[in-house]
Amino acid sequence: MASLTVKGITKAFGKIRALADVDLDVEDGEFCVLLGPSGCGKSTLLNIIAGLIPQDQGSVLFSGRPVDHLAPRERDVAMVFQSYALYPHMTVAENLGFGLRMHGVPRPVIRERLQEAAQLLGIEDLLQRKPRELSGGQRQRVAMGRALVRRPNLFLLDEPLSNLDARLRANVRIELKRIHRQIKGTFVYVTHDQVEAMTLGEKVVVMGEGKMHQIGTPEAIYSSPANRFVATFIGSPEMNVYEGKVVNKDGVPCFQGAGFFLTEVGLQPDLAEKEVELGIRPEDIAIAHEPATGPRATVEMISNTGSERYIHARLGNEPLTLLAPKDTALQPGRVISLDIDPAKVHIFYRGRRI
Amino acid sequence: MVGERFGSKLVKFYIPLILYLVFLLFPFYWMVVSSFKPLEELLMDPANLGLDIRRIDFRAYYEVLFEHGFIRYISNSVYVSIITVLFSVTLATVGGYAATRLRFRGRAFMSYSILVIYMFPAIVLVIPLYVVFSHMGLRDSIHVLMLVYLAQTLPVALYMLRSYFQNLPVEIEYAGMTDGCSRLGVIWRIVIPLSAPALASVALYTFMIAWNEFLFAFMFLDTPEKFTLSRGVVQLAGSVHLSKQLVMAASVMVTIPILVVFLLFERHLVRGLTAGAMKG
Repeated sequence: MASLTVKGITKAFGKIRALADVDLDVEDGEFCVLLGPSGCGKSTLLNIIAGLIPQDQGSVLFSGRPVDHLAPRERDVAMVFQSYALYPHMTVAENLGFGLRMHGVPRPVIRERLQEAAQLLGIEDLLQRKPRELSGGQRQRVAMGRALVRRPNLFLLDEPLSNLDARLRANVRIELKRIHRQIKGTFVYVTHDQVEAMTLGEKVVVMGEGKMHQIGTPEAIYSSPANRFVATFIGSPEMNVYEGKVVNKDGVPCFQGAGFFLTEVGLQPDLAEKEVELGIRPEDIAIAHEPATGPRATVEMISNTGSERYIHARLGNEPLTLLAPKDTALQPGRVISLDIDPAKVHIFYRGRRI
Repeated sequence: MVGERFGSKLVKFYIPLILYLVFLLFPFYWMVVSSFKPLEELLMDPANLGLDIRRIDFRAYYEVLFEHGFIRYISNSVYVSIITVLFSVTLATVGGYAATRLRFRGRAFMSYSILVIYMFPAIVLVIPLYVVFSHMGLRDSIHVLMLVYLAQTLPVALYMLRSYFQNLPVEIEYAGMTDGCSRLGVIWRIVIPLSAPALASVALYTFMIAWNEFLFAFMFLDTPEKFTLSRGVVQLAGSVHLSKQLVMAASVMVTIPILVVFLLFERHLVRGLTAGAMKG
């Protein structure tokens, strides 16, 4: 196993900048998740780490040694592709053993490792089948197995679960975490699914438009997003974010949004007269008991996700989403007053957290 | 009900098909039948289309093969065709792969020029090539003939393989590279096995061109020992003592190998070898 360092990687496809001066450190044995919307350059970064496409600038290091001049086969990385990319003309056993055979591993060792990986993934009965005779979930396992038998420097996974149905995905996610703990490998895992990123990652890197917006633990990224992009990308339903101005009211800084006022939301006095953005997660807003002095909102709709219900309301001219109390019987049209915890309010000035 | 449907299908589909086949196959039938008859019978009763099984006569084949040098012509044709196929398939595989996956200066230009070369009709090229090769003293040679056939078939072969390679998922090749293959290893172990149908089509196409080609063989070859089959048939047909049954037997010998090769390769021309590679 190895640690991974990415230094100042830049890559453009024609005029489109896919990656702009990207830095990343992944420790030996760490599970790092690259999270971002599609087209943010995360798969490109993975391909550059694997050596499949060349970067324009910057350097990739394994355990401190540059590998830029090495071909993919010399970097000793294993990759799991979103499309699985199994070798259709080979059986499952041949698919699993191919990488080892190419690296000149002796046959008895290949057989042993193959059995081990097949057992770990529960695909022992499938070894003699061809990929076309497998279901989607089974193909996914074979793709994982092909990486696992290799025991490489680095595991690179490019959205490996995105083609599975929701239930299977949840199971494989847990399994993947167990496997990582068992083999203690260095993993770089690309996904656009924040639930995957939060459950799997020890380190989560939020990417957007070829840049890294924040690197941190899942908790840190959720509770203190570095900028507006991270704040709105992480969390479902999305964080409520309002543009507005800080005004002084009786010496206390208040937030003036479109058609509403918020007092006591933890604004610093030095922000006075500045344009800021204010974000509050739906679960950080409570409904105040009457009589209350908090800001008022009008209920428009209640949505149900099964385990939770959300109230969609209107605050001044802006939409507002909040987590409904368990026993709520609110009807559209009711006016509620809000209880906002100032400690849970996120304030962004020029897009950055302050 | 069933009979009615069958009746309309018969009229719409089978009757035109049968008429078409009769029209198409009749010359072949006549060729085969004539080749099995002695000359006297052909001359006395040319309108007789039937063949008496008990009186099948292989003498024409014997004469063509052993007295008119066709053994030599056949082996020449086999040699020319097979070598052309081998070169064409090999060069088109590496060339088509390069044009698909590798980035190099002049890549787009190469892709276009492949097609442009193909658009030159053979008849335009045959005269200058005749002159050039005559001056070089290389004209009367089956190896030069092979070079010409290669130049003729390679553009289409490249084009066919290139479009096939473009449809192979690049991730499979990426997987091969991370698994430890070099570029050539990826071509050999992954691209070629997955391209068997396309390679079979290219081989078949090249073989048919090289086997059937007449114009260049006719222009280039002077020495009878170097004749290919098609050139030999013309030699035979133009000879003073024209014997119809001999020409027919020679023609059968030109046609049968193509049929055999086609039937052999046809099984490999199935699509969908990549089934199962991707998420599906």
